[in-house]
Amino acid sequence: MKTLSLLTFALAWLLAPSVSASPLSFDGVPAGTRVAIVGGTVHDGTGKVFENAVVELEGSRIVRVGTGEATAGATVIDAKGKIVTPGLIAASTTLGLVEIGMESSTRDTSGSDDDPIRSAYDASVAVHAQSTLLAVQAIDGVTSAATTPQGGLLSGQVAWIDLLPGHHHDIVAKPRIAVAGGLGQRIAGSRAATLAHLAEVLDDARIYSTTKAAFERRASRDLAAHRLDLEALGPVLGREVPLVLEAHRVSDLLAVIELAKTHKLRVTVTGATQAWQIADELAAAKVPVIVAPTANLPGGFDRIGARMDTASLLHAAGVTVGIAALGEAHNARNVTQQAGIAVAHGLPHEVALTAVTHAVALAYGMDADYGSLAPGKVANVVVWPADPFELSTVPDAVLIRGESIPLRSRQTDLRDRYLRRFEAQ
Amino acid sequence: MYGVFGQTACEGRLWSRSVAAVPRSSAIALRLAAFASVALMFACGPKPSASTPPAATDAPPSSEAAPQTPTTTAAPPVLLRGARVMTAAGVIYERGDVLLRDGKVEAVGAQLQAPQGVAVIDAAGKTITPGIIDTHSHIGVYASPALSAHSDGNEMSAATTPQVRAADGYWPQDPQIDLARAAGVTTMQILPGSANLIGGQSVVVRTTVGARTVDDARFVGAPTGLKMACGENPKRVHGEKGGPMTRMGNMAGFRTAFQKATEYKRKRAAWERKKGEEDAGGPPDRDLGLEALVGVLDGTILVHNHCYRADDMLGMLALADEFGFEIRSFHHAVEAYKIADRLAEAGVSASMWADWWGFKAEAYDSIRANAAIVSSQGARAIIHSDSAQGIQRLNQEAAKAKAAGERAGLPISEDEALRWITANAAWALGIEDVTGTLEAGKMADVVVWSGDPLSVYSHAERVYLGGALVYDRNDPKQQPHTDFLVGQPAQGDLR
Repeated sequence: MKTLSLLTFALAWLLAPSVSASPLSFDGVPAGTRVAIVGGTVHDGTGKVFENAVVELEGSRIVRVGTGEATAGATVIDAKGKIVTPGLIAASTTLGLVEIGMESSTRDTSGSDDDPIRSAYDASVAVHAQSTLLAVQAIDGVTSAATTPQGGLLSGQVAWIDLLPGHHHDIVAKPRIAVAGGLGQRIAGSRAATLAHLAEVLDDARIYSTTKAAFERRASRDLAAHRLDLEALGPVLGREVPLVLEAHRVSDLLAVIELAKTHKLRVTVTGATQAWQIADELAAAKVPVIVAPTANLPGGFDRIGARMDTASLLHAAGVTVGIAALGEAHNARNVTQQAGIAVAHGLPHEVALTAVTHAVALAYGMDADYGSLAPGKVANVVVWPADPFELSTVPDAVLIRGESIPLRSRQTDLRDRYLRRFEAQ
Repeated sequence: MYGVFGQTACEGRLWSRSVAAVPRSSAIALRLAAFASVALMFACGPKPSASTPPAATDAPPSSEAAPQTPTTTAAPPVLLRGARVMTAAGVIYERGDVLLRDGKVEAVGAQLQAPQGVAVIDAAGKTITPGIIDTHSHIGVYASPALSAHSDGNEMSAATTPQVRAADGYWPQDPQIDLARAAGVTTMQILPGSANLIGGQSVVVRTTVGARTVDDARFVGAPTGLKMACGENPKRVHGEKGGPMTRMGNMAGFRTAFQKATEYKRKRAAWERKKGEEDAGGPPDRDLGLEALVGVLDGTILVHNHCYRADDMLGMLALADEFGFEIRSFHHAVEAYKIADRLAEAGVSASMWADWWGFKAEAYDSIRANAAIVSSQGARAIIHSDSAQGIQRLNQEAAKAKAAGERAGLPISEDEALRWITANAAWALGIEDVTGTLEAGKMADVVVWSGDPLSVYSHAERVYLGGALVYDRNDPKQQPHTDFLVGQPAQGDLR
């Protein structure tokens, strides 16, 4: 029986449309009980909607999305009248790397190294599975995060985590899924210096990858970055992982497009305040863009023209748009409000859901396993009583890798502690 | 990096700012029955215009200058008809009308008669609320773009700077003012930052269109506030430069300041008693900072106290008792829920975020039901922004806090949630008799929303400030913007 279900699972997984390849940290764990979420309106994250549908999970994967009855023996979650979506994904967040922002002893978002090139910095080894932030986001429907180092020109390597508190061994579903960084004047004192340095480092990373032996013999010229940082750029140059860059001004965004072309990279842009001005070019270059719709302040001369309808304008031009509470860890949960605001400013609702699920997975090259409800995908599923973006809505059920998580956090525990105290008075 | 959703503001950027509160007793004295009487009340107060250095006069200790410029322009009367009207005064009309005339709300009710010559605007399907009021903003003093040259919000050069005035740092061309207005904000308190124990004096402004000076925007008659800050910020910023560097130092600093103010007040009073006499001598030297603190002791200046932790807040209440002043509002008040009963007892309001947390240790125990618990214990809850982004969705933040209450088994009425960003905020600023609700006689500060203001999908469609239409989402000609964006590539796209 067990073998059979394992086989079914393996088969389903193999048959699933797959981009990425390497297994996730929890693959190989024997599949658990079968769970069927029955009767809900399923929004699959890619724009498809199924009424009165069934989503079946086995172990940590989705095995069926369809209609009809639940498979006999499955644990049934009644979703009649409810909305079923993929778990939401927090893009470009420091979740897992920080507990209290201003207390450096609780912060692992970067090392103390001043070198702007830190591509070897690997967030995955610093992720703290007991961070109280994880449950705070998870009970509001955020099930995965692209945990991202901060600072510098190349900040380091992004870890993909599932928000499963206490999973010390496998909270990181996949390490080193992208290299993150940021463009702009502040990085090296001028835009020209920033871009020149980045181009130099990418060139040298390529040289390093083909002349490692010479480097080890000290028979190569000085290279522009530390050996480990150059090494970490190998997968970027090989297009195995994307380079995820924060950029805001049009000239910086054009530089990203140019960089991708010159070095044949997969790139994703975050922030992208002025992106609406060159939406067509971003679309043509197939650069996914992740924005925070609330970021509408002309907060600097590189952000004049900031607007709340950027997501809508980019989508209309054909850009793959992700939405995030950018820069947030503690309130990554507010990605639902961000999405709602994008809808209020013209983005179609279904596209906004994609923007917080499938599009983010795509932008980080994780769409083979995450971001949509389909057989073979990781079983991160949320059941909502109503519109997920509405401010009064919180999930009825959150499943992460097929596990139904308790809808509690340190915040709800503190709340209940004081409610009890006042009741007793 | 990113302009973060919540934390752009004060707390994030410079680490400082926020406010603290205090007064309240004065509140009663300050009830502004009418602007005229208010002006009288302040006769003892204000004096120099923003740019004039106070002269070395004998004038009685004063706090702020009374504004010279009226904020209400003559606007034609208008009857808004057939909307859902949420008064923030305990009544919601499912289908109601609001009549605005001479800068005031003249009537609110079902099926009002349209007086002759009054324009009637069909507002069926819309929701009408009072204008939104933010008790905590740094717009104008931390402007956009956030150039170093624009950092005018915190005189961190000493641990106590009660003499500085936010009004003197306010840049009326800050484009953030337009964004706030377009989000339904009609009144905001502009505060100095929280890097020091006493950061200085606030100014309450209107989101006036075309203001060229702070006085053009000033809320006539609104009491001045004094910003105080407990906890981490003062000790972090001043720990390395002479202190305070501990919470002990913080409290000692407050005590020292108010002790000096008490003595200064006594000295002034003694001289006042003697001044006719032969041996009276000259008046004591004026000290503009101590005058502000005396204003607090006298109840003419309201204390706005940036204070996160429950024990810090209770410590401040004890200190206020010791020196005989009142705290009007605790700002940021992340742990207000732990002492909601005590806040109710003391009659102090709590200005809170819906959900910011964790950026520093004193913000670690945040819960989303904070406002709901404060409210349910009978204290005055307020949702504030401290952020030029957050101020654009105070209605949404109130909605989140309301929903969190409901999940905790604390039902919050729509009226109450609305009061968190209108009537209660007005109370904290000492202007509750003139604005903050839709009631006859109040200033015509009114927002027409496209739908339920507690929905993420609703927009402020029309904003009336003192009866004048200052924003109309659907009219390209009613999208005011400040000088800064003129000639910039995105002119007119600010939204």
